[in-house]
Amino acid sequence: MAGLPRRITKETQRLLSEPVQGISATPDENNLRYFHVTINGPKDSPFEGGVFKLELFLPEEYPMAAPKVRFNTKIYHPNIDKIGRICLDILKDKWSPALQVRTVLLSIQALLSAPNPDDPLANDVADNWKRNEAAAIKTAREWTQKYAMSGGQ
Amino acid sequence: MGNCFGSEEDVDDISLLRNEESSDDDELRYPPPYMPPYQSDQGEQSQTIYHLSPGQSRTANELTEEEKVRVAQREGLIDHLPRNTWDENHVTNKKVRECCICMIDFEQDEPIRYLPCMHYYHLDCIDDWLMRSFTCPTCMEPVDAALLLSYDSQNLDSG
Ligand SMILES: [Zn+2]
Ligand SMILES: [Zn+2]
Repeated sequence: MAGLPRRITKETQRLLSEPVQGISATPDENNLRYFHVTINGPKDSPFEGGVFKLELFLPEEYPMAAPKVRFNTKIYHPNIDKIGRICLDILKDKWSPALQVRTVLLSIQALLSAPNPDDPLANDVADNWKRNEAAAIKTAREWTQKYAMSGGQ
Repeated sequence: MGNCFGSEEDVDDISLLRNEESSDDDELRYPPPYMPPYQSDQGEQSQTIYHLSPGQSRTANELTEEEKVRVAQREGLIDHLPRNTWDENHVTNKKVRECCICMIDFEQDEPIRYLPCMHYYHLDCIDDWLMRSFTCPTCMEPVDAALLLSYDSQNLDSG
């Protein structure tokens, strides 16, 4: 494997020296392209109070290709599926090399504040969210409590 | 737009760590029968890799005729974009001194390229991206090919 590009070193240093509120990203000891991430559930969202674990991997092509990101904590969200994959345009066709790990994590945090059930995806959470938003939000709160708060897992 | 989770290419996203070797290289790991396996590593590295879009990579042998044409057209278009070199003496009103693709500061006489939106990058950095997507990384403006060609022919006359 080729050496770590300067950009990844720089991004990592900046992430550690100027952390983003409510987000932590720590590179893995054994693989500096792999980050252990936590995102705090945003205020006034059904995820408030939860701490969500994610994993982020910078592929060989990065920054020409987007980072791969996945939730490791179970979450009830119309744009995140059962195994934690995230439906977010900048992780797919709207990726640009001007974006960074920081901007990606901020976008995911924003997605928690503003779930988008109209983004076409094949999962029942989105259906529930559209059919009965109040009930869906209640379930999301319960899941946050159950899986994303200390004591739960 | 299809749905986000239905596509098969996403399935191997499941373990990010296992993807360390890059999931796109599956074919490369199994060399064609005529190539002795122990040479495959060197063979891979010396081959030019073409990137048709982010995450879609081919070696020259794997390109279809249609894709070869696309690559050649794209290379031709990129050639029409103005190139320049970084000049420290003229940077007073340029706020951005760092190439946002590699995050390294521009150095004196380094080749850079301007896009029509006037965003600029290292020549190698932006050309690598433009081969995948004909857009400006910073403002996401599509680089207009038609505009480029007319711009270029005007420039030939004037200078
Ligand atoms: Zn650069
Ligand atoms: Zn631009």
